[in-house]
Amino acid sequence: MSSNFAFRGYTRRVARAVVDAMVPRWPEFEADLTDDVLEQVEDFTRNYPPFVRFGVVAMLYGLEFSGPLVLDGLKPTSMLDREAAIARLEKVADHPIPQIRMMVMLPKIMVSFSAYSRPEVETFLGAPRRAWRANRKAFRDRLVQIDARRGADPATPEPLVDAGVRPEDYLRFEPTPA
Amino acid sequence: MATLHDGIVQPHQTRGDLRIDCDVVVVGSGAGGATTAATLAEAGLRVVVLEEGAAYTTAEYSADIPEMLGKLMRGGGSTVMMGRSPVPYLEGRCVGGTTVVNGGMCWRTPEHVLDAWVTERRLGHLSAQRLEPYFELVEQVIDARFQDPGSEGGVNDRFKAGADALGWKLSRNRRNQRHCVGSNDCVTGCPSGAKRSTAETWLPRFYAAGGRLFTHMKVERVLTQRGRATGVAGTLLDPYAKRRFRIEARAVVLSCGAIQTPLLLQKNRLGKPCGHVGRHFTIHPNIKMAARFDTPVDSMRGTHQAWQCVEFKETDGILLAPGAIPLAFMSAVFPSFGPRLAERMRDYRYIATGGILVDDHAEGYVKSVLGLPIIHYDVTDADQAKFVRAAALMAELYFAAGANEVYTPFHHLPIIESPDAIAKLYAHPPRVQDTEYFTAHLMGTCRMSSHPKAGVVDPNGEMWDVAGLYVADAGTMPGTIGVNPQVTIMALARVIAERLADRLGRKVPRAAGEAVTAAA
Ligand SMILES: Cc1cc2nc3c(=O)[nH]c(=O)nc-3n(C[C@H](O)[C@H](O)[C@H](O)COP(=O)(O)OP(=O)(O)OC[C@H]3O[C@@H](n4cnc5c(N)ncnc54)[C@H](O)[C@@H]3O)c2cc1C
Ligand code: SF4
Repeated sequence: MSSNFAFRGYTRRVARAVVDAMVPRWPEFEADLTDDVLEQVEDFTRNYPPFVRFGVVAMLYGLEFSGPLVLDGLKPTSMLDREAAIARLEKVADHPIPQIRMMVMLPKIMVSFSAYSRPEVETFLGAPRRAWRANRKAFRDRLVQIDARRGADPATPEPLVDAGVRPEDYLRFEPTPA
Repeated sequence: MATLHDGIVQPHQTRGDLRIDCDVVVVGSGAGGATTAATLAEAGLRVVVLEEGAAYTTAEYSADIPEMLGKLMRGGGSTVMMGRSPVPYLEGRCVGGTTVVNGGMCWRTPEHVLDAWVTERRLGHLSAQRLEPYFELVEQVIDARFQDPGSEGGVNDRFKAGADALGWKLSRNRRNQRHCVGSNDCVTGCPSGAKRSTAETWLPRFYAAGGRLFTHMKVERVLTQRGRATGVAGTLLDPYAKRRFRIEARAVVLSCGAIQTPLLLQKNRLGKPCGHVGRHFTIHPNIKMAARFDTPVDSMRGTHQAWQCVEFKETDGILLAPGAIPLAFMSAVFPSFGPRLAERMRDYRYIATGGILVDDHAEGYVKSVLGLPIIHYDVTDADQAKFVRAAALMAELYFAAGANEVYTPFHHLPIIESPDAIAKLYAHPPRVQDTEYFTAHLMGTCRMSSHPKAGVVDPNGEMWDVAGLYVADAGTMPGTIGVNPQVTIMALARVIAERLADRLGRKVPRAAGEAVTAAA
C-alpha cells in the first residue's frame, strides 16, 4: 500500500543534491534528469514499507553529513557544488569500512533504476525497450497464429522455417528512428 | 483489452466485511499455493485462495520498471536481508506470486539431493522414483520446454562460446514458456504472454474446477480452536474503506513463501514447541558478473537464460550462468554511480551479464521482532572461497569468449583487465563484507521432517504442532537443492495437496494423459 509520502523542506533539498550527484550525464545527451529522477525516487520511496522509508531518509541524511567520515570538511553535501558533491559521494562509496559504503547502496540503486529505465536514456544507449517490446508482442502473436494454423504446439520447439521464421531472423529488429 | 478471469474476485466486487466457509483456504497464489489450490479444487473440494497482491493481465505489464516493481514486488522491491554483507532479494506480491517475476528456469530436484532426503532425513516419499511422476506432471502443466531456436540472443551466445572454447559442460535450460521471444523483461512480468507463471497455468485450472481467488486479502491471523486450525482472518487492502475478512475452513494451507509464512506463524505464536519455524533458511546466494566485448552483444534482445554451465556443479557446488537483464538492472550490477557509471553504461550494447550461484552451507533465520521482519543470512567463509574461485572461472570463460574486460562485484577488484589479472583474485581474496550478493531462491524455513523434533511440518505437510494447518511453499523444502526451485516447490505442493485431499475424503482425478499416480 502506498502512502502520501513526499520529500519535504530540507529533506527535499538533501534528496535533490544526492540525486543530482548520481544521475548520469553524457556530453551528447542534453536533458538534465535530476528533477524527473527525484520524482521517481520519491515514487519508489512511497511504495516502500514505513521502516524502509525511514531507512532511505536516514541514509540521505547520512550522506548529507558524511563530510567528516571521509575527511572532506564539515559542509553538508547539499551545500557543495555538483563536482564536489560527486567527489564526496565517491569517497563514501570507496570507503574501506563496509557499513559506511552501505549508505550509498540504496540511493544508488533507486537513482540508477529510475534514470536508466527512462525511455530517452534507453534509446540513447541503444536499448529502445518500448519499441522492442511492441515488436516482440507482435512477433509472438504471429507465432501463435502459425501454431494454430498448423495445429501444432511442439514440446521441443522446431525452427518455424516452413512458416518463414528462420532462427537467424528470430531476434531481428530494425527500430524506426525516433 | 484482456480482462481478468471470472474466478478472480477483486475488492470492488464485494461489500463490507467478508465471511466465507469452505473446505480449504489456501493463503498465497505462487508456486506452492496455486499448485495446492488447483489440486484440491480438482478433487472436488470447496477451495478459496487468498492473495495479498493484485491481479494483472499481460497487457498491464508495462515497460515502466519502477512502476512494475511497486505493483508486483513486496516492499516495491526494497527487500534486503542483513548479515556481514546485506543481500537484496525479491518476493513477488501479486496473483501468481514470484512465478510472475521469475526467470522461468525449470530444473528438477537433483537426484543426489533427493537421495539425501530419503537416507538422512528419512523422507521416503520424496525419493527420485516416487517424485518422478510429479515432476512430469508439473513440467507438463507449466510448459517446461526448450527455447525456440534463435531466441537465445547475444548474452547467451557469448556465454556458450566461452564454455565451448574451454570444453566446459553446458546444460540447456528448460523454461516454462511457449514461444519466449526474448524480450528480456522476465523480472517485471512477461509482456508477450510467453511465460507460463501460475497465473497462466495452475490458477486457470483452479478456476475451472470452481475455485475462487480473492485479491488484496492480507492474512494476519490463523484461527485455532483446541490446537486445531479452523480458518484465517485479516484485512482486505481496499484503498477506499477499512474492511476485514474471516474465512472458516476444515484445513488451512499457508503458501506465503519462505519468508512470509514463518513470519505469519511467529506473529500468531504458532509452531513454537518445535523450535524450527524460521530457521534453516537457505538462499543460494548469487553474485553478478559482466564482461565487455569488442562487438555488440545487444543484451536487450534475447532470453534471460538459455543454458547453465554445470562443469563445476557436482564437484564444487558452483553453477555459472548467463543472465540477460534489462538496462536498468544492468546499471545496478556496477557498484558506481554518476559519471563513473555513465561512462561504463555508455558501452551497454557491448556488455554481457551473468551470474554465479553456489550451493550454500550457511543457514540464516527469519524472525518477527515487535512485528518487524528480521531476515538474517551470512555467507560463510567456505562459501566465499567458492565464490572467489567461481568468479575466476567466470572471468576465464568470458575471456575465452573474446571479452576485453570483466567486471566483478568485489569492492577492491571491480575490473579484471586481462586473463593474467585473474590471479589477483586469489592473491587478495575478497571478503564477504566486500562483496555484493543477490538472491532469488529463499528456502527451508518451515522444513519437512520425519520427526517432530527435526522440523516444522510432517511428511504430509501438516504442522507437527497444529492439526489442520499445512505449509506448501518454498519453506517446506527439507534442505537446499542447488538448482532453481519452482519445479521442486510445485512437486512437493502437489504431494502435500494429494495427501490432504485424501484426508478430506477425496481422490485427485487424473486428466487424460496426466502422468501422476496417487501418492502412496
Ligand atoms: C527474480 C527472480 C527470479 C527467479 N527465477 C527463477 C527461475 O528461473 N526458476 C525457478 O525455479 N525459480 C526462480 N525463482 C524462484 C521462484 O520463483 C520462487 O522460489 C517461487 O515462486 C516461490 O514459491 P512460493 O510458493 O514459496 O512463494 P511465492 O511464489 O512467492 O508466492 C507467495 C505468495 O503469497 C502471497 N502472500 C504472502 N503473504 C501473504 C499474506 N499474509 N496474505 C495473503 N497472501 C500472502 C504473496 O503475495 C505471493 O503471491 C526466482 C525468483 C526471483 C525473485
Ligand atoms: S524473455 Fe521476454 S518473452 Fe521470454 S519469458 Fe522473459 S519476458 Fe517473456
